Amino acid sequence: MSETIGSPTTTTTTSAEIILRIKDLHTYFYTDIGISKALNGVTFDIPSRKVLGIVGESGCGKSVTALSCMRLLPRSAKIPKGEITFFRHKKNGNGSAAPVEEVDLLKLDTMSQEIRNIRGAELAMIFQEPMSSLNPSYTIGDQIGEAIILHQNVDKAEAENRTIKILDQVGMSNPKAMVKRFPHELSGGMRQRAMIAMGLSCNPSVLFADEPTTALDVTTEAQILDLMRDLQAQLGMTIVFITHNLGVVAQMCDSVAVMYLGRIVEQASIEPIFYNPKHPYTKALLNSIPHAGSREHKRLLPIRGVVPDPYSSIKGCPFHPRCNSFMPGKCDVNVPATVTVDNGHTVRCFLYSDEVEQQ
Amino acid sequence: MFSYIMRRLGYMVITMVIISVLGYIIIELPPGSYVDAEISRLRQQGGNLAPEQIAALYQRYGLDKPEYVRFGLWVSGFVRGDFGQSFQYSMPVSDLIFGRLGLTLLFSFLSLILSWGIAIFVGVYSATHRYTVSDYVITILQFVGLAVPNFLLALVLMVFAQNVFKMQVGGLFSAEYVNAPFSVGKFLDLLNHMWIPIIVIGASNTAWLSRVMRANLLDVLNMQYVQTARAKGLKESVVTWKHAFRNAVHPLIMVLGGSLPGIISGETIVAIVLNLPTTGPLYFNALLQKDMYLAGAFLIFLALALLIGNLGADILLAWVDPRIRYE
Repeated sequence: MSETIGSPTTTTTTSAEIILRIKDLHTYFYTDIGISKALNGVTFDIPSRKVLGIVGESGCGKSVTALSCMRLLPRSAKIPKGEITFFRHKKNGNGSAAPVEEVDLLKLDTMSQEIRNIRGAELAMIFQEPMSSLNPSYTIGDQIGEAIILHQNVDKAEAENRTIKILDQVGMSNPKAMVKRFPHELSGGMRQRAMIAMGLSCNPSVLFADEPTTALDVTTEAQILDLMRDLQAQLGMTIVFITHNLGVVAQMCDSVAVMYLGRIVEQASIEPIFYNPKHPYTKALLNSIPHAGSREHKRLLPIRGVVPDPYSSIKGCPFHPRCNSFMPGKCDVNVPATVTVDNGHTVRCFLYSDEVEQQ
Repeated sequence: MFSYIMRRLGYMVITMVIISVLGYIIIELPPGSYVDAEISRLRQQGGNLAPEQIAALYQRYGLDKPEYVRFGLWVSGFVRGDFGQSFQYSMPVSDLIFGRLGLTLLFSFLSLILSWGIAIFVGVYSATHRYTVSDYVITILQFVGLAVPNFLLALVLMVFAQNVFKMQVGGLFSAEYVNAPFSVGKFLDLLNHMWIPIIVIGASNTAWLSRVMRANLLDVLNMQYVQTARAKGLKESVVTWKHAFRNAVHPLIMVLGGSLPGIISGETIVAIVLNLPTTGPLYFNALLQKDMYLAGAFLIFLALALLIGNLGADILLAWVDPRIRYE
């Protein structure tokens, strides 16, 4: 076990390298009041060793996408269709390129040993609420060490050493004392650092961060974001950053996927999204936040209406009832297909192509 | 933690003093005493009691002294293990109670262990298998167990045991063993008699506890930290027992603390129906017969058991949940 957190990984990466490929993913929740179609054909690639932002309003399926990849959906959820391919890089000690194994995550049983070996070790996740994400009955050291013992085959003492090292890395003051602390003795920011430490403890390839700073105050948020950015650069892992905050996206991400009602409506690298957005929804999102440095006092433009409830089905483009560029007879009839408008910039809108999505 | 326990022990002493005063007042509240009842019984039998005889009876039982003196005598006796004399049985109260306490504790502990063991596993199982066929079956059984009164279950089981297994039911021993010295045969006979009371006493307890366990675990299983545990790649059994169960067990611990008096009093009605020589019927009769020292001693024991149970539960809770660390 020569690999330790923080050892510089010297592999040559190209932007084309992909760690997760999600294809036509459908996730439905079967509840008493009907079927809630949370994801309706999500297709995108997660580039390796980059930070990908997933943005959208509440209820658009951002978290469900991450949970589907982790296979951590609640029992009421089913995935009737789709593929999630994980390009698993066998970790070997000397850091040389090893053959890549393709794992179809949806083929694994949610309780199986295979998925449990991937969870925590290869794909890690941190959650929105640092207050409730840690078990109140066990110390921070116990909870982080648990993952290390599980995946790295070390004894308790060694796990504690590694835990202390990681806590130090995530900027916890006095990590030796921290391992003995219980979650309720820590502030929200400290708990989120502990969660990040837990997520990173086994050096995962992908870290899903589900709105990790939403519950924190602005100062703490900035610190946590800085920390994540630093650690990402240092460890070279992939971060999937789920947020509804476009400011955070601008600060954190290399590329962005914009979601609306269980579909990706636009995906591009960070600059085109902010300076040349294509999809009316992306434009509306950007218009609804204040711009720093704007001289005149402009009104913010909220998006008309609310996200429709996922139990109803909308014919045509799901955004058309709220869209400012709605074209009758077109948008309310067919679903636009995803088309490439620029290098690596894809969008799903009839403004750019008449191509219809095949059902 | 140490000073917390010390403080709690101090409160317990104060509470016990208050309870003994209140208990004494309650026992003295009904008009007349055991001696009055005894005198009228003797008169009914035709005996004409001289005033001197009556005074002697009062004196013998200490009823001629003022209330506060009798209370003082009664309470001071506790320290020496003297709980006074039973009017009914003309025996020291302590002999009466301790003579029956052994069997009572045996019953109570066996049914407690049985019902807790079953309840925890059944509750966890039905929570982790929510809305499956087995969960529905368990839920129906739980409601039946809660709804059927204990004494009725006792009667049904007695009839069943008598007609199907041709067993002698009621009591603790078959006729031939009642006065026999202790032997393997007698022990087996005891076991043969014990299963009905244990099932009866345990049934409603099990149903109730497993309901509580299920409801709490369901709450906890929805907690974010359970998801965190799964996200680490832990086995579902570890997630359930290590991360969820420990946070769902609090109400059960509180119930356990409250059930300590029940260990001493036993299930009175069940014991009466099944003719068990436990302390429950003794307490019941003492109250009916105004056998005040016997009833008073029971009251004190039950109160003490409740206080000890609650203290024990609080200490156990602090151990289970680090958020409850007393100062």
